[in-house]
Amino acid sequence: MATAQLTARSRARSGKGAARSLRRDGFVPGVIYGHARQPLAVSVNARELSRLLDHISAENTVIELTIDDTVSRTLIREIQRHPLRRSVIHVDFQELVAGEKVIVRIPIVLVGTSIGVRQSGGILNHVTTELECRVDPSNIPNRIELDISDLNIGRTIHVSELTIPDGVDVLNDAGETICVVAAPKEEKAETPVEGAEAPAEPELIRKPKPDEEVEEKK
Amino acid sequence: MLSPKRVKFRKMFKGRTRGVATRGSEISFGHYGLMSMEPGWISSRQIEAARVALTRHIKRGGKVWIRLFPDKPITKKPAETRMGKGKGSPEGWVAVVKPGRVMFELEGVTRETATKAFALAAAKLSVRTKFVEREEAHTDAE
Repeated sequence: MATAQLTARSRARSGKGAARSLRRDGFVPGVIYGHARQPLAVSVNARELSRLLDHISAENTVIELTIDDTVSRTLIREIQRHPLRRSVIHVDFQELVAGEKVIVRIPIVLVGTSIGVRQSGGILNHVTTELECRVDPSNIPNRIELDISDLNIGRTIHVSELTIPDGVDVLNDAGETICVVAAPKEEKAETPVEGAEAPAEPELIRKPKPDEEVEEKK
Repeated sequence: MLSPKRVKFRKMFKGRTRGVATRGSEISFGHYGLMSMEPGWISSRQIEAARVALTRHIKRGGKVWIRLFPDKPITKKPAETRMGKGKGSPEGWVAVVKPGRVMFELEGVTRETATKAFALAAAKLSVRTKFVEREEAHTDAE
């Protein structure tokens, strides 16, 4: 189980204006909530948070969050990012309650190079990159490793074939695909077809109006 | 080239493109992506040219996802026609793109190949673009 430390401070003002002024001052607005507490609006230093996120797996690392001299064991539940700049604009923390299991997403790490890719030039498609698990907070695995070195072309690995550590309940469907090695596709030689440049007009879902019919005849 | 099979109306207003993309702004299928940095229209020809550039560069390996569909009809008046007398006839199809939209995705290639392939594809598009990759979970932290 990975842990990290972070400092936050409670904030009195909430809403769009307050959040924007916080971001201008180099802070990220956030909220902490949990089963046994009232939600509290907090703010975190943006530089400290981004440095932390560069080094941890955000979704399955327990964060010891210090808010105004009280320490809470939390999990990051959601990180909202700016669509263009990718900077963090809001963060959600969930306080953990001792003895209460939580649902986390654990990354699946593929180990080795599959035989299908190495020898036959197949294409590895990693379909499911994270596994949704119900687990005790003190026992969250950092990752689930999957050895794919024997994976040949056309073979698929499903959730049911994973080796899951003790105390971890997988919530994904057992038949869900983790990864597949597809056969390489040859690019077809492109032969220009007469009339392919100007596609025919698509069919109308509704009935055309009389004046549209006249226009089409022109 | 991509175009709709059935439509409700033959012609559409030009419209204005405001704001940033909030949908389709994450890498959902592959490992690498090409993100639009400005609003614009991407024509079906540009999408096809970019797809050909991508698939030619990655050769046999890799899988390409096109996350755009040109569903907006564009009209044009015939040459040497006086203004007025109604809207022109449909000429082609475009996809409306907002900044932050992930337009193409790639999987099963190295980072160097993906960078080069997307640079070639970006040269076929009429918007500024950025190379993006999936945020990897840092699984070694203790």
